[in-house]
Amino acid sequence: MSKSAMAVQPSRLSQLWHKWRFHINVLLLLIPLGFMPKYFSDQALFRGDSGLGEREIGEVQVGPWSLRLAEFRNLPPQPDGAAGYLKGFSAALCDACIEPVKATYLRIGKPRSLRAAGSLFFGTPYSMGTQLPVPEKTKADAELWITMEGWDGSMHQASIPLSQASPATVAWLNKQGAKQ
Amino acid sequence: MSKKSRSKLWFLVHSWLALPIWFFVLIVCVTGTLAVVSQEIVWLANPQTRASAPSDDAPRLGYDQILTAIRQAEPQLLVDRISRPDEAHFALEVGVNHPDGRSSTIYVNPYTGKIQGTAPDFDFSAFTRALHGWWLVPFTNGYSWGWYLVSILGLPMLASLVTGLVVYKRFWKGFLRPTLRLRHGARIFWGDFHRLSGIWSIWFIAVISITGTWFLIQALLADNHISISSEPIIPAMTRESVPLSADGAPPPRVGLDRAIELAQQRIPGLEASSLFLPGNAYSHLSIRGRGWYPLMLQSATLNPYSGEVAALRLLSDRTSLEFVTESMRPLHTGDFGGLWIKLIWFFFGLLLSMMVLSGLLIWTKRTALATANALKREDKKTRARAQPVISREPSEVNP
Repeated sequence: MSKSAMAVQPSRLSQLWHKWRFHINVLLLLIPLGFMPKYFSDQALFRGDSGLGEREIGEVQVGPWSLRLAEFRNLPPQPDGAAGYLKGFSAALCDACIEPVKATYLRIGKPRSLRAAGSLFFGTPYSMGTQLPVPEKTKADAELWITMEGWDGSMHQASIPLSQASPATVAWLNKQGAKQ
Repeated sequence: MSKKSRSKLWFLVHSWLALPIWFFVLIVCVTGTLAVVSQEIVWLANPQTRASAPSDDAPRLGYDQILTAIRQAEPQLLVDRISRPDEAHFALEVGVNHPDGRSSTIYVNPYTGKIQGTAPDFDFSAFTRALHGWWLVPFTNGYSWGWYLVSILGLPMLASLVTGLVVYKRFWKGFLRPTLRLRHGARIFWGDFHRLSGIWSIWFIAVISITGTWFLIQALLADNHISISSEPIIPAMTRESVPLSADGAPPPRVGLDRAIELAQQRIPGLEASSLFLPGNAYSHLSIRGRGWYPLMLQSATLNPYSGEVAALRLLSDRTSLEFVTESMRPLHTGDFGGLWIKLIWFFFGLLLSMMVLSGLLIWTKRTALATANALKREDKKTRARAQPVISREPSEVNP
């Protein structure tokens, strides 16, 4: 505690440091302040105030039905442990399909049957989401298939290019391909 | 090492533990204290969140009646979740989806079914919890680094408690003879305050620091994909267990009250406080609530068409390790036994915040004193070089 009694005059900088060293942790407050806009924009996204997702893909016609599709985040697929890489999509059903549509699925590549239709959407028809597994070896020209199943047992399918559905995913795949 | 220098070392460790980050610790304590009563603050600020009974003997409506009332008032809304907060003075919170895709929480009167209002976009409770819990740093891949930043504070806090008790010799005497000297200057007052509130908060500091450290362990486990859960993952319903309908309209579902009845047959004493409605044609209805042990929830997962119970999660299904780990969060937040427990947590949270502040004030005053003394000594030394310097740390005296 008697450091201040040093014979040599300390430099201005070390004086400042000595005086304020236990106050500079106030600067840690800048972290939540800096993240606050991100926090509120995320909250708006979760509530659906800023639309279905960060990037709207548009209306996709699936047989007699249609749905509005969006990328939840405008980001490449995110790693999720053993599940591999997952990409979040959201969707809203057309007004006329709310009653008759039993389930909506998303898959990369054409499903062989209804039993392998892919990731099931979860939520209400006004706004639902799914986490689509994206294998790292997916071809960049792959297609995203939408399968809709009716309560009466009917099934309708449509596809859009992955590059249209998620440019961020295609960019990520191209980068992965370059690595291999 | 002599006994004296050892206790001096303990004292040194104690005084340095929170010092370099005292303001951060203080804000984490203050936001945590606020988070404990955030629901009550919202209750005070927003009359729409209150459950006012039309008369003293008015019965609460069943969940089916609540759904019907919402449908009548707002036919467009789709309900995905109903929860009845622990305390009876809160309105029901119902998660709804709007046709434009927005989701929100509406407050519904449990006696009349009237929609009293929509939760504001700014969720005060969620905000204070996010600020306290992870310093608002977003979760991108796994736990946010803000979570680590906050939860690691459990360790210095635990160390403060232990070292504090070691340096405060015979601290148990403080229970019998509480001392708070008001007229002997600020240094004495804050010292007394720090010790007095410290001994009465031993249990609380232990609870908060241990549970806080658990949050650190929880994040470390999750980020390394290590699971200690014994809970099986319930698969989506099979194609066969979901009925088809010839006319193309969704098949009828079991009523919520009937579903609760079925769940209670399997879990006696289950309080159905949260209902999660199926999120698609192949997903279950889930009913959750407390049983005899207030710190943990039990749940029943049902087929919404047949009412058949697909899975149960009972207190007895938990391993002894899970009994400990699952109790950590409610012990930290104090939200397991109604308003009084919350108020106790709030009071001790304030006390803990004041301890961080008083610790700093003591340190500042002591350092200022020690510096002044040192300067004085230096002055004397230059004048008369003969006098020996006695460096005396102001040590903790027993009251």
